[in-house]
Amino acid sequence: MKSKRSAVNFLIYTLLFALAAVFLAPIFIILLNSVKSNFYISDSPFSIPSGESFAGIQNFIKGFTQSDFLQAFLNSAFITVFSVGGIVLLTSMTAWYIVRVSGRLTKIIYYLFVFSMIVPFQMVMYTMTYYAFELGLNNRLGIILIYIGFGAGLSVFMFSGFIKSIPKEIEEAATIDGCSPIKTFFLVVFPILKPTAITVAILNAMWIWNDYLLPYLVLGSGKSRTLPVAVQMALTGGYGNKDMGALMAMLVLAIVPIIIFYLFCQKYIIKGVVAGAVKG
Amino acid sequence: MATIKFTDVVKSFDNGKVTVIPNLSLEIADKEFVVLVGPSGCGKSTTLRMIAGLEDITSGELYIDDKKVNDIPPKDRDIAMVFQSYALYPHMTVYKNMAFALKLKKMPKDEIDKKVRWAAKILDIEPYLDRKPRALSGGQRQRVALGRAMVRNPKVFLLDEPLSNLDAKLRTEMRSQITSLHQRLQTTFVYVTHDQTEAMTMADRIVVMDKGVIQQFDTPQILYNEPANMFVAGFIGSPQMNFIDASVVKDNGLKILFSGYEIPAPKEKKEYLEDYIGKDIVLGIRPEHFLSAEEAKSEKDCCTMTVKTEIAEMTGSETNIYFELGGKRHIARIKAEKKICSGDCVKLAFRSTSAHFFDKDTKMSIG
Repeated sequence: MKSKRSAVNFLIYTLLFALAAVFLAPIFIILLNSVKSNFYISDSPFSIPSGESFAGIQNFIKGFTQSDFLQAFLNSAFITVFSVGGIVLLTSMTAWYIVRVSGRLTKIIYYLFVFSMIVPFQMVMYTMTYYAFELGLNNRLGIILIYIGFGAGLSVFMFSGFIKSIPKEIEEAATIDGCSPIKTFFLVVFPILKPTAITVAILNAMWIWNDYLLPYLVLGSGKSRTLPVAVQMALTGGYGNKDMGALMAMLVLAIVPIIIFYLFCQKYIIKGVVAGAVKG
Repeated sequence: MATIKFTDVVKSFDNGKVTVIPNLSLEIADKEFVVLVGPSGCGKSTTLRMIAGLEDITSGELYIDDKKVNDIPPKDRDIAMVFQSYALYPHMTVYKNMAFALKLKKMPKDEIDKKVRWAAKILDIEPYLDRKPRALSGGQRQRVALGRAMVRNPKVFLLDEPLSNLDAKLRTEMRSQITSLHQRLQTTFVYVTHDQTEAMTMADRIVVMDKGVIQQFDTPQILYNEPANMFVAGFIGSPQMNFIDASVVKDNGLKILFSGYEIPAPKEKKEYLEDYIGKDIVLGIRPEHFLSAEEAKSEKDCCTMTVKTEIAEMTGSETNIYFELGGKRHIARIKAEKKICSGDCVKLAFRSTSAHFFDKDTKMSIG
């Protein structure tokens, strides 16, 4: 019985390791190739860099100088931080209103938010880009507004689910204690929403930081270009020739902040998902 | 001083489509412990929430200390409320929970500290001041909720079924703690419950409500001994009062006939029962007013009947006997002198003076 169970465990673990390897392989390959010279990247992309093939930090230096990395990094950070901040703050308030002020209008608003989740970006990207240019939103502040709009659907949906599980009496107790609605939200409701807010922040930060298409369409390759656009554009030479080594090195640098952010907050993502699902 | 006065208060929901309180007039005296009691949906919590300012009043007037408070927000009413679900702020420690309202009032820190520690000492929650509510038991959480109300030193304490989430033992303990808290604080307490034992043991006066209407507002003793109608008679007392169809006849004196038995009309009720001669009434007998055959031997004006036991429940010093009479199941609680089993025929008796009489149509008490 015991040996049967350990055999099953062995099989499960093998399967899980295999799956983990499949998911981690692209990151591992990028890491390997970021320290290889260009010739060896195309010749033997899966080999471990050593001797001649090992390029040290040359690719990082090249990428850093050629792609205006710092400017693009700051653009990405500015857009991500303020978009995520805006999404978390505005959608949590919206969800609180939708849940607590029940009526036909709030129901319609809620379903509009949910509907926006299922509309694919590709369906609206041409009209959205046209109006972004028409309304002068083709800059760093403008794209923040667009991101808040695109991120609102899922975020309102997640916050609403969690707020429904918060007993209304807590807010009533705050009212009796002397809170105005704004104080009730910021001093009582929002701190309770912390796990969901962190989940929403992580999901949106990963999406916005890594997004290529929307910033490419709205900001283009100008001064406000974001990291994914900058890396792809700057390191592309004539006739489609690419400096793969520098590209890999810049990709490594680009994913580091979001991985750190994720690792820092990942314990809350689990809490957030569970907290919204189970009425406590 | 904190009196509460409802004058013709109406409360409706859904733009007047649903009226929960049709017309409420009530006066609660200063420092009184009033319990609002009634079945679910009777409007007791709505009444309490109107005092708190958490529900708008559709029409009528509400006064706290002779000041009309219809349009005054909850925070300016000088009230504190304890909720059924405790409603503690989960992200704050016990100390912060208790200090929250005082902090909002911008009270000096040392004064807040003094008040929080004073309340924590009384409620015996001093060791838990640095804990979050999730690390406390139900009873401790309820004490924190009480402490949060206490530190504000309010004119009126509102308590909405505060003990219903606690187990039976803890409930008894907290009941006495709330009563002694009332005596200590000398403040007006308004307490909502559906548990008539809580109401009877804690209240100075009880408001019995049904369908938004006050059925009776009086002391526990009067509610028990002189219920105004069948609803109050049935609601107050556990197990509830037995109701038996009966009729009044004048045959060699005024008598009450029921299910083949008869009792003489008690002296003090004769005057009122005379109006019902030849009419049907309802006879009410509390289970604990039944006597065993042994006890009834020495009694006068007693009605003795023989019934077949359907179920017998031994509760220790007493036995609950379920029996059928007039096609309905009734219950008698007698001293457990000897073992009674299901199917046994037992003799039960009751004094005519302990019987209650009700008008069959209006359900109001006769006399």
